[in-house]
Amino acid sequence: MTSTDTPATTRSGVSGPPVRRRRKKFSFDRVSFFVVFLGIPVVGYLIFVIWPFLQAFYYSLTDWSGFSPDMNFIGLKNYVNLFQDSIFLKAVGNSVTLLIVLPFVTLVIAMAFASIIVLGGPSNGPIRGLKASSLYRVVSFFPYVIPAIVIAIIWSFVYDPSAGLLNGILQSLGGNWANSFAWLGNPRTALVSVIFVIVWGLVGFYMVLFIASIKGVPAEIYEAARIDGAGRFRTAISITVPLIRDNIQTAYIYMGILALDAFVYMAGLEAGGGPGNSTLVISQRLFTTAFTKGQFGYASAMGVTLALITLLFAAVVFAVNRLTGGTNEVSE
Amino acid sequence: MKTFRKGIAMSMKDKQIERRTFFRGAAVAAIMIPLSGTLASCATSGGGDSSTGKKSKNNPFGVAANSTTDAVIFKGGYGIAYAQFAGKQVSKLQKGSTVKVTAQTNIAQTLQPRFVAGNPPDVIDNSGANLIGINTIRGQLEDLTDVINADNYEGKKISDTLYAGVTKPGTFDGKFVQLNYVLTVYALWHSESLFKQNGWTVPTTWDEMYELGTKAKAAGKYLFTWGKEAATYYQTLAISSAIKEGGDEVRLALDNLEAGCWSKDAVQQVFTAMKKIIDAGYVKPGGAGTQFTAAQAQWSDDEEAILYPSGSWIENEMKTQTKSGFTMTGTPEPTVTKNSKFPAAALHSTAGEGYIVPSQGKNVAGGKEFLRAMLSKDAAVNFAKSTLSSTIVKDTIPEDGFGSTALVSQVKMLADAGTNVFSWNFVDLYGMNTDQLVVWNTFLSGVPPSPSSRARCRRSPTRCATTTR
Repeated sequence: MTSTDTPATTRSGVSGPPVRRRRKKFSFDRVSFFVVFLGIPVVGYLIFVIWPFLQAFYYSLTDWSGFSPDMNFIGLKNYVNLFQDSIFLKAVGNSVTLLIVLPFVTLVIAMAFASIIVLGGPSNGPIRGLKASSLYRVVSFFPYVIPAIVIAIIWSFVYDPSAGLLNGILQSLGGNWANSFAWLGNPRTALVSVIFVIVWGLVGFYMVLFIASIKGVPAEIYEAARIDGAGRFRTAISITVPLIRDNIQTAYIYMGILALDAFVYMAGLEAGGGPGNSTLVISQRLFTTAFTKGQFGYASAMGVTLALITLLFAAVVFAVNRLTGGTNEVSE
Repeated sequence: MKTFRKGIAMSMKDKQIERRTFFRGAAVAAIMIPLSGTLASCATSGGGDSSTGKKSKNNPFGVAANSTTDAVIFKGGYGIAYAQFAGKQVSKLQKGSTVKVTAQTNIAQTLQPRFVAGNPPDVIDNSGANLIGINTIRGQLEDLTDVINADNYEGKKISDTLYAGVTKPGTFDGKFVQLNYVLTVYALWHSESLFKQNGWTVPTTWDEMYELGTKAKAAGKYLFTWGKEAATYYQTLAISSAIKEGGDEVRLALDNLEAGCWSKDAVQQVFTAMKKIIDAGYVKPGGAGTQFTAAQAQWSDDEEAILYPSGSWIENEMKTQTKSGFTMTGTPEPTVTKNSKFPAAALHSTAGEGYIVPSQGKNVAGGKEFLRAMLSKDAAVNFAKSTLSSTIVKDTIPEDGFGSTALVSQVKMLADAGTNVFSWNFVDLYGMNTDQLVVWNTFLSGVPPSPSSRARCRRSPTRCATTTR
């Protein structure tokens, strides 16, 4: 790079003022700035993000076993098989269910908590939260501090049919049916049980995120609303949500990506895909296909499909936000 | 990882999303980054440059002087101390040569890049939940026939010291590529003292099994218990029982996955008998949500269930969770009728813990030499003693089974069975266990009652009877 700007400097020395601006353009400072802050990140991005993605796409068109350098190009056969693979389709169904339920439930609860903590205080005097709001804020953040895999393992003990905390409590409250009831082993309760754990683990984080954004809204707006006679619920729906909608959109997309993955939680709670595959998710199926079945080509096709679903989800969230009157431009 | 993602979320916001979705979607691709550079080069690298020394009587494979053997050993129930012991035996005989024993729990994930790069270890214990499906790599492995044709460290030909048929599970299309080191006997396990105390006998047919279930229930116990990751132990039990009933015809049909093999009479009879036991409530409910070692402890520690079908590793696995005075004893799996094709003493036994030597390894001779040491008397006895399990080497277990009743019963079962020993391969060969676990968890659960329907039962038992049928 430095070699290219040397000729530029010599030429500009001869040509005078108009070219001087050009010299400034290619000065060492400027070029090195671009190299360091644009060139290197772009190269890194290409090598570590785009290139592996293209590779995965290529592998998805082969019958690669994953354990040898040999593979045959088989076109779109993997994709054709994918859409006739009832277990994979079941996994897609479960992932999509998580995608619909998880962000919505988590964010509604997080939003409710955040509103109560920041705005739920007495209705006279300045706008403020509950008395011990800072304590609640800290306590509800606790689950987020614990790594996901630990959360999953702890909850699998809680859900244990014979010795678990949950069935113990239910039985002491007189629920005899809870004796040996397998929360994670019954197709009707498995997915709900898993969803509860994920929500429990993440509500605190999104609550803190929303608290920060609500605090960014000028208090005068809330005061004005109160003077106009708006109740707390009305304030939350008509004032808070529209004013922090960018944060909600971001949170929605991240929650959605997590829901589409969910691998860690599933590995701890339902490593085998759950009863009747009722909690099997795409990432789990991908993992078994690649490593225990030795079908890396087929697994790559699953990865590409998962990527497409993720992109589609992000597009839908952006579109919904735009159609409902939100700013499309991201606040920088 | 999680915190890292969130960190980006906070600071960079939506601009990053597209990049991140790509990144996520390319999860598989990310695994392959380290491979991309090596893909091209592996065609040229390979086993050809494997260094060898001079072959002699004490060095039948020609291990190069002062060489190192790279051994990757699955660290599971047996630990890796036995492999380190064998490694020391090698360095004793081959002066200057050492064996570097590395413990590993995820064999497939960690060794996959090394296989693709043409740089695999010299010898691998391909075992555990994350083993490499042998079908995917068998073309890249050494034929180990020369290992068992060599003499052991005591000067005896190795093949003469092994139990019969132990090379069968590792032989594919006539090539012996996987040496399964540990002899596993599959059986129904119980506590002899508990059975004596209650005057029970171990059933030899499924009808007797049902009767025992009734007696156990009267004593407030269950017949069986299961855990979600080990539900297919009952499939193993069912297949064994069906093979004993219907003979080799059933075994071959299943092993070759012939159309309609699961509908054979013998197989269906066993399933029906099991279904009767499940419906009678003799299987402890909730197994589909129970971790398998917790379920096994319900049998070995709490004695809530009285029988458990498993391989002979069970004693070692439950060592710390076995009630004192629990005289663990194995008996062969039941048949359907008294006049079954195989006798009642027939046994499902095979060798497990598969050792492989990749042809592309840097020190193939060293890998083979390591296996020769493992198959020699000292290492085999050391293994039996420290893990209370038998290797495929005969006569390594004393009369008292090192004080283990399970090991004594194992030797007795093998002696009683004589040549009536059988096994099958299809579940592991095609990596079917994950899919079959789903089916077996559902089957063993019976008709899963939801909390609400159970609550209904308490309110009006008559209505409950109609809804669950």
